Amino acid sequence: MDDEKAAHDSGLNNVATRRRALMLGAIGASAIVSVRPALAQSAASVLNCEIPVPGPHGTGMNIDAYGQLVPRDTPGSFPTSGVKFTGEQVKAAMQGRSLPGTSYDESQAYVNYIRRLQSGQSGFTCYASLQITR
Amino acid sequence: MVLLIQPLDAMTAIYHRRSGITHIVSEPVPQILHRMGGETLTSDEIVERLRVDFDFEEIDARSLITERMDEMAALGLLVRQHV
Repeated sequence: MDDEKAAHDSGLNNVATRRRALMLGAIGASAIVSVRPALAQSAASVLNCEIPVPGPHGTGMNIDAYGQLVPRDTPGSFPTSGVKFTGEQVKAAMQGRSLPGTSYDESQAYVNYIRRLQSGQSGFTCYASLQITR
Repeated sequence: MVLLIQPLDAMTAIYHRRSGITHIVSEPVPQILHRMGGETLTSDEIVERLRVDFDFEEIDARSLITERMDEMAALGLLVRQHV
């Protein structure tokens, strides 16, 4: 038990405490593989589930190109209205189509917002379920 | 943001509690997180901190680390701040 705890606590420290060569990767090569939790939901209900942009936690804020909530007067950011998109619309947007009623740049910003949704935020379960349905 | 970090030999597993996502990452991702220590830094500042402990090629270091940080920001492991 003590060894396991020590190993866990020193997780990051063990990664590198002495000077050595660091591999930085290559341009265009990803360093991360992400594994999402599996959520049981039927295909039909997923396509009809809704994702508000933004959710209640973002009321009165804009969205920047990276999908982060920012104050209304932030240059280059996009206004929002809490409009709800269906799972089907978001799935199509992730495959290249723009979200209904949005320009290309707006749609990209909204999609990035949706991609950043966290557990507990409105639309998270709908979005997470899109990842595992065909 | 709570991250649970576990080295796995050549890779590192990072569990991001709020999203429920496990990211399996190669270096320099854990080293970037460790050297940032929760502070807000530019990619230049991170390169300098990494240089204290590590040897790496001068050429492209900033581009490579910026690319890694962009990837981490896209996945929610880092948050981009506007200035």
